Formats: sequence, C-alpha cells, structure tokens
Amino acid sequence: MFKQLFFRRAIARTAQAAAAGPAPGRPLSASLKETLEAIRTTLHAPNDLIIREFIVGSVNCPFALVCIDGLVDNNLVNEQVLKPLIHYCGADETGSALLNTVECEVLTSFELDRVATLDDSLLAILSGDTLLVADGAATGLLVGSRGWKTRALEEPQTESIIRGPRIGFTEDLRTNTSLLRRRIRDTNLRFDIQRIGRRSRREVMIAYIDDIVHPALVPELKRRLDTIDMDDVEGSGYVEQWIADSFLTPFPLILNTERPDKVSGALLQGRIAVLVDGDPFALVLPITLSSCFQSPEDYYQHWLISTLTRILRLVAAFMATFLPALYISLLEFHHGMIPSRLAFSIAGAREGVPFPAVIEAFMMEITLELLREAGLRLPKPIGQTIGIVGGLVIGEAAVAAGIVSPIMVIVVAVTAISSFALPSYSFAISLRMLRFGIMLAASVWGLFGVIMAYIMINVHLVNLKSFGIPYSTPFVPFFARDWKDLILRAPVIFMDFRPKLTQSLNPVRLRRTKKR
Amino acid sequence: MKAFEYGDQEISSAQMAITIASILIDVGILTLPREVAEVTESSDGWISIAATGLIAIACAWFIGKLAIRVGTKGLYDYSASIITRPLAFMFMLGLSAYFLLFSAYEVRSIANTAKQYLFEETPAEVIALIFLLVVAYAVSGTRIGLIRLNVLFLPMVIVIAFVVMGLSYSIFHLGDLKPFFITDWKQITNGMKRSEYPFLGFETVLIYISIMNKPKDAPKAAVLGVVVPLLLYLLMYMVTVGVFSNASLRQIKYPTLELAKEVHVPGEFFERFESMLFTIWLLTVFNTMSMAFDCAVYCLSALFRKVKRTTWVVMLCPLIYLICMEPQDNVDFDRLGRLVCDFANVFAYAVPILILLLSLLRRRKSHAP
Repeated sequence: MFKQLFFRRAIARTAQAAAAGPAPGRPLSASLKETLEAIRTTLHAPNDLIIREFIVGSVNCPFALVCIDGLVDNNLVNEQVLKPLIHYCGADETGSALLNTVECEVLTSFELDRVATLDDSLLAILSGDTLLVADGAATGLLVGSRGWKTRALEEPQTESIIRGPRIGFTEDLRTNTSLLRRRIRDTNLRFDIQRIGRRSRREVMIAYIDDIVHPALVPELKRRLDTIDMDDVEGSGYVEQWIADSFLTPFPLILNTERPDKVSGALLQGRIAVLVDGDPFALVLPITLSSCFQSPEDYYQHWLISTLTRILRLVAAFMATFLPALYISLLEFHHGMIPSRLAFSIAGAREGVPFPAVIEAFMMEITLELLREAGLRLPKPIGQTIGIVGGLVIGEAAVAAGIVSPIMVIVVAVTAISSFALPSYSFAISLRMLRFGIMLAASVWGLFGVIMAYIMINVHLVNLKSFGIPYSTPFVPFFARDWKDLILRAPVIFMDFRPKLTQSLNPVRLRRTKKR
Repeated sequence: MKAFEYGDQEISSAQMAITIASILIDVGILTLPREVAEVTESSDGWISIAATGLIAIACAWFIGKLAIRVGTKGLYDYSASIITRPLAFMFMLGLSAYFLLFSAYEVRSIANTAKQYLFEETPAEVIALIFLLVVAYAVSGTRIGLIRLNVLFLPMVIVIAFVVMGLSYSIFHLGDLKPFFITDWKQITNGMKRSEYPFLGFETVLIYISIMNKPKDAPKAAVLGVVVPLLLYLLMYMVTVGVFSNASLRQIKYPTLELAKEVHVPGEFFERFESMLFTIWLLTVFNTMSMAFDCAVYCLSALFRKVKRTTWVVMLCPLIYLICMEPQDNVDFDRLGRLVCDFANVFAYAVPILILLLSLLRRRKSHAP
C-alpha cells in the first residue's frame, strides 16, 4: 500500500504516456449522413442532443446543426446562426466551398472555429459549442455558443472584508477570467488552458503575468498538472492536493481564495493562479507562511492599521495554537509560575471540578469543534441558533454543573475566537489540528512538551517547500527587503519591490521619480 | 514531487556567524558564573572569561583560515591530502567521537536542569529521550534546515537573556563588583580552564564551509560567532556577581536561572521567570545539540559514504542516549564534561591547527624549488 502511495505519481506518469500515444482521432466524414450517424452512435442519441437539419443556398446543400440543449445560448443560435443561414440563398457552391462562404459572409456570430476530427467536435459540443456541418465538407464549423445558467456575482462568502471590492469568483471560468482581466489590463497577462480529467475533460486555467513570473515556475506547474490522470478533478481541492509538494504536512502549501483582488495582487507579485472550471476558489502559488497572515484589506487600509492588524493576527495564531496547551501545563505542572493571587482564584474556580485540566480542555475543545461543524451543516438561520445554544447554554450549564471551570471556558473561547481571526481558513484548520497534539504533549511533559512541540513545528516548517520556495521565507532565508510587507506593512510609497522570494524577473514595483 | 530548484542550498557568512554563535551559547552559560566564581575572587572572573574568549577568537581565526583551504573538498579529503589517509581517518573518527560526546553532554545537562526547574517527578531518562528524539527528527531533515533553525531561534534567546539582565537592574549592587584585580594569575588560569566549555563549537565552520557561498569570509564569520557569545557571557557574569555577590554565587548551582528567579516581572503577569527562561533556553540548547549531532553524522558519512543520513541518525541515537545516561552522579557528569573539553582540545583545535601549519609548510616547500 505504501509502495502505491509513494509511486502513485510515477505510475500515473507512465499510464498517461501510454494513453497519450498515437491517437489522432477519427476525421470527420465528408458525408453529412455518416457524420450525424457517428455523432448519434457515439453519444447514444440522448434527448438533450439537438440535431437540426436544413438546406442552405440556391443549390440546396444539406446542412446540420448539432448542439446540446441547455448548454447553448438558444437566442444566439437562433438569431445569429440559424436565421442567417436559412435566409441565405446566394451562392451556387456546395460542400467546403459553401462552408467557407458561410463562415466569411453569412454567420453573424463572432466566435467561429474549424474542426477536423470527430473527437474534437464532440468535445466542443459537450462543452456547449454548436457544430455546423455541410454535406461534402470534411471539416466542420464550430460556433461558440456557450450559454448556461450561472450564479450572479456575489460577495465572497468565506473572505469578507470591511473595505475593498465586494465581488467574488463564481463557478463559471469565463466570468472569472473576465474578473481578472478587468483588474489587470496588461498585454502580458496570460491565461493558459489545460483540460484535465479523463472523463470530465474539465478546463483548468493557469493565469500569470509573463514578464513578472519566474520563468521556471510555469513549466513546472504545467508539468505537475500534466501528471493529473483521474476521472474528474471535482474542484480546486483535487488539483491542490495533487500538485502540492508534500501530502504529509498539515500546512497549506497552496493558497485558495474567492477574491479576484487577492488573485490579481498575487499575480502582480510574481505568483501564479490556477482556476478550475466549476469552482469559485482560485489557487495561488507558490506561497509562504507569511501569505497565510495577509489579507487584501491590509493594502486598502492605512499602513499603521494594517501593521497592527498583522501583529494581532500573529498573536491570534500563537494563541490558537498554544493557549490551551500553556494553560494545561501551567495548571498541571508549573503552578508556581502563576502569580499567587491568580493561582488562588483559579484554584477556587476549579473547586469541585472532578477532572484534570487536560480532560477538561479536551472536552471543551471537542464540544467547540462539534458546534462549529454543526453550525456549518445547518441552514443559516438554525446555524445561528446552534451558536447561541452552544456558546451560552452549554458553557453556562457546564460551569454550573461543575464539569468545567469558568476559566477553562474563557481559555477555550479565546482560542476559538483567535482561530477565527486568521484570514486563511485552511491555515486556521491546520493550527486547530496542531493544537490537539500540543495539548497532549503539554499534558504529559508540561512546558517542556510545549517547547518541544514548538521546535518540531519549526523543524517541519524550515524543511517545507512550496513549489521549490522555502516555506519559512522571508524569516529564513532572511530577505530584509521582504520584511517591508511581512509584519510591518510599509506605507505604499515605500513598497518599491515585488517580494524577493518569488524571484521575479522584473522586481521593481513602483518608482518615485515624480514629486508627489 | 520534485521541486524546481531555487538555489537556496547555500548559506551566507552572516548565517554562518549566527550559527556559530548559536552553537556556542548553550547549557554552559547556565553554570558558567558559578564555575568561574568558585576559583576567582570578587568580580575578577571576567578576566578569565575574557582571556578564554580571546584564545577562542584566535583559534576561531586559525580554524577559519583552515576552512578556506578545505573549501568544497570536504574535511576528510582535504586532511587526507595533508596528513595521509589513515591519519585523516583517525582524525575524523576522533572528531565524530567528540561531537557525539558533546551531544550526549548537552542532553544530559538538559535532563538534569529540567528535572530541577520544570519537573518534580518525571524521570530524567524520559526527558533526555524526548529531547534526543526531537533532535533526531531535526537532524534527519535537511542540513540547511538546521542552519535556518539557528537563525530563527537565536534572536529570541538573546532577547530573553537581555530581558532578564535588564529586569535585574533593581537588585544589582555595584558594590559587590568591588574590589577589582585582586585575583592572582594562577586563579585566573584556573578560571580559564573552567570557562572553556561554553566556547566549544566554532570548529563546525570546518564542516559547514562546504555550503557557504563566500568561503573567503569564514574566518570573519567564525570570529564574529565567538565575539557575540563572549560579550553575552561577560555581561551575564557581571550581572550575576552584582546581584548575588561572589560569596553566594559559589553556592548557586545554576546562577543564570536563579537570576531569573530573583527578578521581578512588571505587571505581575507570571512568577518564577526562571522556568520561562529555561524553556526558551531549550531552543538554543536544541540548536547546539542538533548541530553537533549533524556534524557527527557528517564526519561519519564522509568516512563511510554508502550509509544513508537517516540510517546514521537512527544508529547514533541509541549511542548518544547510552553515553548520556552513563554518568551516575554529578561527579561522573563533570568528568564527562571534562572529557568533552579534552576531546575538543585534541581533535577540534590541536589537530586542525596542526593541519593548517603543515599545509602552510607544504606550500612553502612546493614554492621553494
């Protein structure tokens, strides 16, 4: 089983190489009847397949229009394809000559493409394009007619901010690319498309800015994406887990975000974004630990506010990870370290609590995780009720019943609030996981266990890489230049350079040549 | 998944200096003030510390010079080219034994101190084992990762040391420092011997030179790496003498930690600052120990190239644990400390400097005809 796990990627690569061998695809037949027959047999003639046969021109050349109902924009197909074609009665050509004329003179639709093989045309039809075939022509004409029901643009659910654009990505890839284009009108902004998934053939888009990104990064990402060989990448999470450098780490090696402003900011820093069709979350890579503490809002606010917020977040991350463990170790091992008056009040509050602090802490933490999970699953109005029931009733009742001490409730609540204060949800989750391990260490070895756990986390972090970039940058390796946008968020006019860690080709971000 | 290379597998001279400073600052400073005060009068121990420090700086300079010559060749191959392969083999074996003893001493002293300051009932064996396992986890990672850990932890350690010294201003008596210069030179030399241990470790520059990006700066980095701890030790010694006075300093087992016990933390946030200080201090001890362990692994894998790094770590762990559990009492433990110093004198200082002299001689000879 281990062998499989470790050689998964190697096996996948060879399998893919075998599959990608000589498979040129069947060419389209010149006979209209044969082509339609082939399409019908391959797709098994489902009832959402529309095949409309008609004749064009003065010599009555048979034509057919093939598309999938529901994936195409009916209005567009009617008005700009079918109507002009049926009304057209000019040329006396047939076959491919007529198809040429139709392409150049008749169709008013703007997205047209030639297709020569059956496989390509089927993929296009299944993606929402309309295929136009003429009798006597060995190529088909693809009309871009994708149009399906999409969600309206909404405020991102997972990353709301006070100040800044209130727009988030949707499930539709085209909408998402337009959102990025609207933010960066650079000729070097690249959208490279790759189709991934043996059966789903999903579109995955790599977005980057050509003269900013490190030249080795894009080929490496494409190579990793090429290794994906599965039926369906059901979302960005699949892609993220497949292409990440390590699957043994609790920390996110690739950032996910719903915010176009965050993505465009990352692109301008020399990073790459991966957008998966059907998923409103974009992946941003490579990232470092510091990316998990940054929010786009930091750049919209005054630099002092942002700096203080970042310090607050660091404190929050520390508390979310270590606070219960520290409390346990002080209570169980090092009472002496608590100031005597506080120690008395803690002892007073704990009077009658039958469990050691560890059990108490674990009970409260698990209850809290349960509440959080339950609140997520329930419909929104009930979810709030759960919050109130959990937070107030259980907390109060547990203290009143003497199962936990009030101070433990405070500790657990502060821990939970701290973990909510972090801008990256996946990072907060990884800290939540670590917290339980550290609590165990604290319960057995006290402060010694806590510091050992801290050392181990650090050892893990310095050995971690995201797309070849050390995860602990810019702390170590130390890049003084990047500290301007780390804990301190320097005033905008001082952030002259893109982060050094992305090794951008074009490091200068702003010039102060003109007087302000 | 194979990452595209970032070209970060080398260290700058600043990182080298930080690494050396971080190796030098370890458990030694916890007992140093007592060790020196026991054999000197009043506050004169600083002369011993400063003298030892100056010798260490000189040694560091020479060893840095040798390191330039070693370069990317690796210590074993270089010394083999100077003193023949069998002798070089012995030298590397001795060096790795020294590093192993060094790590064992660190673990044991951590276990002893933790027993006194953090735990009441947890046995020292368990503490040592846990610490050793964490170090082994670090060493089985990358070498560059270990150096980065030094860079991460050293600032915290230095900051906490200065916080402790700063907070003790209210209990510091200038009068306890007086009179000056009353110790005779015999006692000073005695003190110098006692203060050797905290200065061990800069010979690692010989090993890490192979990943330095500017090998020419090695002597500078080594010297800087000794100067920072030297200043810290001097300051710490003066503060402990000023707070406890020489007479009571002789009786205190871990003066640096006791100093933290005496200070008054403003805001009444917590008491017993010494547990806190010791906990933070574990970070730098961890660094020293992991570097020593890594050096032992380096020396041995230079001799036996086929064995993998992880295999070495797994094989050496029980060995270190056995060595560190060997001393039964404090006397035995002190003997282990002295053994480490003796090994260092031979394999970390004498032999490398001899090799340097030989290589200088050889170059002159080859230039002569």
